[in-house]
Amino acid sequence: MFFYYCDLAWRSIRKTPMLSMLMVLAISIGIGITITTLNVYKTMSYNPAGDRSEVINSVQLWSQGLDTWDDFISNITYMDAMNLRNNTELGLKAATYRTGLAMQSDNLKIEPVLQGVRVTDRDFFRIFSVPFVYGSYWDASVDLRPAYQVVISQKLNLRFFEGKNSVGKTVFLDRKPYQIVGVIDDWNPQPKYYDPLNGAFNDAEEIFIPFSLTGQEEFDVWGNTSGWKFEPMLTYNDRLTSEKVWIQFWTELNSEDEKQSLQGWLTRYVEQQRTIGRFTDTAKIPAEAVQISDIDKWLEDNDVVPKDNKILVGLSLLFLSVCLVNILGLLLTKFLKRAPEVGVRRAIGASREQIFSQYMVEVGMIGFIGGVVGLLWAWGSLTALHSYFAMEQSVTGLDASMWIITPLIAISTAVLAGVYPAWVVCRTKPSVYLKAQ
Amino acid sequence: MLHIKPILSSLMRSKSAPILLLLQIILSVAIVANASFIINERLSLMQRESGYAEDQILTFSVYNFDPAIDNIKQNEVDQLILRALPNVIDASYSNMLPLSGSGWMDRWVDSPNEDTAKSTPGFAFYLGNEHLLNVMGAKLIAGRNFSADEINTNLGDSGMLALVSQPLAKAFWGDESPLGKTMYQGDQTVTVVGVVDKLQGAWIDHENFEYSVIQNIDFGGSSSNKTYMVRALPEHIPALEEAIRKALNAENPNRVLDNFQTLTELKSLTYSNHRLMATVLSIMVVLLLLITALGLTGMVMFNIQRRTKQIGTRRALGANKRDIIQYFMVENYLICIVGGVIGGMLALVLGQQLMSLYSLPMVPMIYPIISVIGLLIVTTLAVIVPAAKAANISPAMATRSV
Repeated sequence: MFFYYCDLAWRSIRKTPMLSMLMVLAISIGIGITITTLNVYKTMSYNPAGDRSEVINSVQLWSQGLDTWDDFISNITYMDAMNLRNNTELGLKAATYRTGLAMQSDNLKIEPVLQGVRVTDRDFFRIFSVPFVYGSYWDASVDLRPAYQVVISQKLNLRFFEGKNSVGKTVFLDRKPYQIVGVIDDWNPQPKYYDPLNGAFNDAEEIFIPFSLTGQEEFDVWGNTSGWKFEPMLTYNDRLTSEKVWIQFWTELNSEDEKQSLQGWLTRYVEQQRTIGRFTDTAKIPAEAVQISDIDKWLEDNDVVPKDNKILVGLSLLFLSVCLVNILGLLLTKFLKRAPEVGVRRAIGASREQIFSQYMVEVGMIGFIGGVVGLLWAWGSLTALHSYFAMEQSVTGLDASMWIITPLIAISTAVLAGVYPAWVVCRTKPSVYLKAQ
Repeated sequence: MLHIKPILSSLMRSKSAPILLLLQIILSVAIVANASFIINERLSLMQRESGYAEDQILTFSVYNFDPAIDNIKQNEVDQLILRALPNVIDASYSNMLPLSGSGWMDRWVDSPNEDTAKSTPGFAFYLGNEHLLNVMGAKLIAGRNFSADEINTNLGDSGMLALVSQPLAKAFWGDESPLGKTMYQGDQTVTVVGVVDKLQGAWIDHENFEYSVIQNIDFGGSSSNKTYMVRALPEHIPALEEAIRKALNAENPNRVLDNFQTLTELKSLTYSNHRLMATVLSIMVVLLLLITALGLTGMVMFNIQRRTKQIGTRRALGANKRDIIQYFMVENYLICIVGGVIGGMLALVLGQQLMSLYSLPMVPMIYPIISVIGLLIVTTLAVIVPAAKAANISPAMATRSV
């Protein structure tokens, strides 16, 4: 029966080509726009941490003076980072910031590359589950006593060492020799959740060096440095002893207990810092002057999904509803026109349910065609977004879930639009039309 | 004359179609009003004068990776090389690039006493030498530029001078001239020597975007990573990148030259989100109007078919073609106006939601009104064709099928 209805539906669609095209156009445009904005939204709001989202936590401190910022700042000072690194109660922990260095190898034929570099502790690789191809992260002792060791990406390994196991080899960063201890596999989480502060959809760094080198190597900071009081930064040491915030601190908390104990430690820390004259804004009680953010909160606080995008999703859903109302009107028009035909069918013995399902099949078919065309629209507009507005590929690639979401939206839109017209038409009284014939 | 009463009663008889139409118009007005408001807001952001000779400025970064390089000296030598290049009007180091989205922000206070001092609003903090103003193409409207012998190389030096942008001067000193004023950063003093007409900062969405300061520090020697701006006529810019690479690498090859961009390109990149929003919303509005118009045409056509007999009868009873067209038009306008009023209110409610959720400004009344007018025009076009067709139904039709 279903295929017979499909056949009938197809005939009916072909009988009024203009009207059918109009409906398909309306539904496809509505779906195209909705899918486009939803797709961008979905990829932007993706949480790469997955089920580790609650385990990975960053720490923020209210270290500022009076009348400064309204909210917690994502970064912390070097002093606080060092004190947190020395907190032995914590399991995995890593301070991190971004710098840039020029990389060369012994082979001078290969041109040097200027690369973003992540300066961090060894636990960074474990906290963020960075996959290794060769070797591993540096030894725990390196985090305490600096050593010139480096972890590079497989891509750089291909460039400088033809992809062979380069562990133990030497590369030069700004002309200084560093020993390779590990090579990581392709790792580029999108959004770049471990540091979304300067472009949440930028690529991950490909060079990782120990945080403990910071003091002696005085790396430039390729990220935000914010200060709330006047502190001249004439030397690098001024930066290290200043109240300026520029470092992110990450830790792994496996249970509510661990979180509570960190909270307790931080509260005591704030109290202690206040006694030595830091954390001068005392409007917040010490327990509230600290913030532990899991990945969900962190991504939210750092506005990884721009507000514009949320507005677009809302407007496109409204747009879809206009299309829905539009199709509803057109379907009603079309079905009512066929009321005489229905009258005859009813008189011959078709039940209301049969008429209803026949028309719903037709509606579903229009929805299906509209969905397919809409997916094409979405694909086209995402491609356009990528090429004309410098939007990242990762955001404009069609998300796999859209293959399920699109037909779902298409069919449900069509069905929503079709129920009322089909119901009206199936209630047609045969007698009225038989009389008129 | 408009026969509103019979039209109303006929609308009331078959309610579902006009209600659907009404619903569609309500939603359309709400969307179009909010969308066009956002579009207009973004466009006006993009049209602000920057104060720079945008298409004449080429920017790039230099990274000297050899620790043996004396950055202070290299910075001086590099700038001399840049200025000596053919077709180059002027060149200068700058600690930050205008309109780029990243840079330094700072503030001054007006007295050394921290407790009583009044702070200026935050401003974009450009550091550069006496050439920077000329490279930027910014207009000095009062006071003077720095002279070559006044340029410092360190943040801690004494003898700090500053140029301030006119909006910053207005915001802090009002009508008083800022020339000669002494400002403080900790113990350090800064003397204002000039006012620049317009000098935008780096952050296009920041409320202090127009507040800027140039201080007389050539900071290019402070680190191995720095940015330069070179000014040349637009026709000379394309060949400039190659010339710069060649000249600077010949001087010292141990560096990476990168990020060659004109200020126009930089600006377009920074504004790309706003452009995207304006474009997407414009497309949405056009499509929305198109779909509404097409849907309306379809429904009116159907109505006319259904009412062929009725129209024929009216014609037979003496109604002329104009009356028939008028009938459909008035019917359309009735629905449009009712829908417009409700839709306008919905638009304001929606705008209020957006405002509270995303701190967007309130939608002014004018946008719903313009949207309703726009919709009236579009629906007129959509109705007039089928209505004219209806007017051509001959009176004989009325009697034929009876």
